[in-house]
Amino acid sequence: MSIVEVKELRKQYDPPKGVLAVDGVSFGIEQGEIFSLLGPNGAGKSTTISMLSCLLKPTGGDATVAGHSVVSDPQAVKETIGVVPQDIALYPDMSARENLVFWGRMYGLSGDELKRRVDEVLELITLVDRQKDRVDKFSGGMKRRVNIGVALLHKPKVLYLDEPTVGIDPQSRRSILDGILALRDQGMTILYTTHYMAEAQELSDRIAIVDHGKMIAVGTHEELVKIVGEGARVSARVDHYLEGMAERWREVKGVEKVEIEEDEAVLLTEDPNEVLPRLFEAAATAGSRITEINVTEPNLEMVFLHLTGRALRE
Amino acid sequence: MIKILAIAWKDLRSTFRNVPALVMMLVAPLALAALLGFAFGGGGGFDIAATKVVVANLDKGGAEAGQSAGAAIQSILSSKDLKDVLETSTKSSAAAARQAVDDGEAAVAVIVPEDFSAVVYGSDPTATSQVELYENPTSEIGGSIVEGVVGQVLADFNGARAAAAGAVALRSDAAGDPAAAQVAGTAAEQFTHAGGVSAGLQISQRSPQAGATEKEVSVTGAILSGMMIFFMFFGAANVARTILTEDRDGTMPRLFTTPTRHGVIIAGKFVSVFVTVLVQAIVLLIAGRLMFSIQWGRLDAVVLLTVVAAGVAGGLALLVISFAKTPAQAGAIGSGVYLILALLGGNFTGTAQTSGVYGIVQKFTPNGWLIEGWDTTMRGGGALDIRWQLLVPLGFAVAFFLFAVLKMRRRFA
Repeated sequence: MSIVEVKELRKQYDPPKGVLAVDGVSFGIEQGEIFSLLGPNGAGKSTTISMLSCLLKPTGGDATVAGHSVVSDPQAVKETIGVVPQDIALYPDMSARENLVFWGRMYGLSGDELKRRVDEVLELITLVDRQKDRVDKFSGGMKRRVNIGVALLHKPKVLYLDEPTVGIDPQSRRSILDGILALRDQGMTILYTTHYMAEAQELSDRIAIVDHGKMIAVGTHEELVKIVGEGARVSARVDHYLEGMAERWREVKGVEKVEIEEDEAVLLTEDPNEVLPRLFEAAATAGSRITEINVTEPNLEMVFLHLTGRALRE
Repeated sequence: MIKILAIAWKDLRSTFRNVPALVMMLVAPLALAALLGFAFGGGGGFDIAATKVVVANLDKGGAEAGQSAGAAIQSILSSKDLKDVLETSTKSSAAAARQAVDDGEAAVAVIVPEDFSAVVYGSDPTATSQVELYENPTSEIGGSIVEGVVGQVLADFNGARAAAAGAVALRSDAAGDPAAAQVAGTAAEQFTHAGGVSAGLQISQRSPQAGATEKEVSVTGAILSGMMIFFMFFGAANVARTILTEDRDGTMPRLFTTPTRHGVIIAGKFVSVFVTVLVQAIVLLIAGRLMFSIQWGRLDAVVLLTVVAAGVAGGLALLVISFAKTPAQAGAIGSGVYLILALLGGNFTGTAQTSGVYGIVQKFTPNGWLIEGWDTTMRGGGALDIRWQLLVPLGFAVAFFLFAVLKMRRRFA
């Protein structure tokens, strides 16, 4: 049985005429898995997490976390989860340590256990040296780390991370992503929401693509890109006579399709590593020189485009 | 319980690190009380400067020797009982008396006409005579005092005249009954003689709730008690507003994702509000004692009044917050509510005006009761003497708190 089971979850604000933010979403998350909800802003990712955090009551369906229903037993669910909200939710006039101590108490920790866990989390988020500094003096990345640290204090079985890398520098993002992978390796189950395709692709064991409150696809990265039904795209430019070169490339073994788009030829192939040397060889034989060549593997952006007709960032 | 205290401690630490809030809570009421206290003459009682009065007694006296109603008025205005409020001198003519007022030498001139005694002691009940008050229009308080005193004297004279007229009529009607005629005759004789009239004249001074053994309330004490309650409302509002600030900043929703029940979070907030205003009140009470030598009264009454006032401030602050959606909205609504309550309850006027419609309106506000309680306590009253001034505001506090909790539970459900 999955540690998180979501069944026909639904949320409509101000029913019956209000916005339908989540429309009958169902999925399961296995123990120790990173499961990502990928979708554009307004797709319903944060609303889904809010319902799974018992912050919002569903208007339909239910979900269980470690066997506890978010509808009928929210208190037990809250003891099981750690929530990292999208925006920094800390007390800026308190130090990092004071924040962790306060939130630890809210998770029911006290005494030596609280002190030990605060020390461990400070180590984990690498802020031991700055623990006595007020949070409002921290950089965006440091605040993000404290924000995540708060949710780890009570060692939750399931960690929800709602777009935790929004608005931070690449170095801090890298640090956070590495930290999440390390948590997964320690056996923690993670529900991650993002609209960054690369993050979802790098982190996730499985990905659910959501749009307009509905789940439109779910699976591993490999399973999802197969939905597109295409191989890699190779786009190439030559120094002269593009049309003649395109005709020759159609004859190359492994090339499935060739089209001319403006001043470049776009080729589809299942195995670009095998095909690329043949393309150069054909060009040399024809007396042409390849001036630029790009290979694009099928990705989640293409999957989203294929499924919705829109780019993920639109 | 640990969670409630953790929430309260976190808020208290933030509040007492907030310098502008501390200035508002502690410095402003002390400064206002000091300023108004000095303006009204400082420590003991409301010291009003004596009004200068000139009397031009032109009265030529009654038909019999020794009859002089004008002298009676002059004598009362110069009496010992009124020497703290009236400084009386005489002028020989009406013109001189009016000139004294015009020149600013006196605030009020009392001009007794020549025929005054003749009318008072005369047998014609329809005869009239007018005592003229010529006063500087800017001297409202002094003018009112003189008007009150003279009006009282004239009312007594008029009463005596009516009684005398009645007695004379009775004497005529009882002509056939020698005994009745004798009694009526004696009465008429007494009423129509100056001695009989002037002996009955008295000036009564009103002193609200002040018995012979009660202590006098200092002006600064009266003002500071009102200011303290008023600023306790604002102190409570500052802390209660953190509910909305936290909701806006995301820490309140995050608290709701922890295994901490909503009731515990609200209780923690109430404790922080309550303790904040309690500390505020204690600091103000001590400062008032040290800086202005205010005698707050018996400890039992002072403690209970302070605790109840903190409860009212806390409950009201939570109630206001429960109606607002943003911290800015809470500030605007709160300021309006607290100001209206202060105006209706008498935070700025104390118990100086507790009669009439205003006195009734004060009873509809918790601060009106609390101010009355402080007044009684400063006069030496104990906890039993102010039981209603404790119970009624306590009822307000409980009602405010329960309503606020209901509203917030619905809001954060």
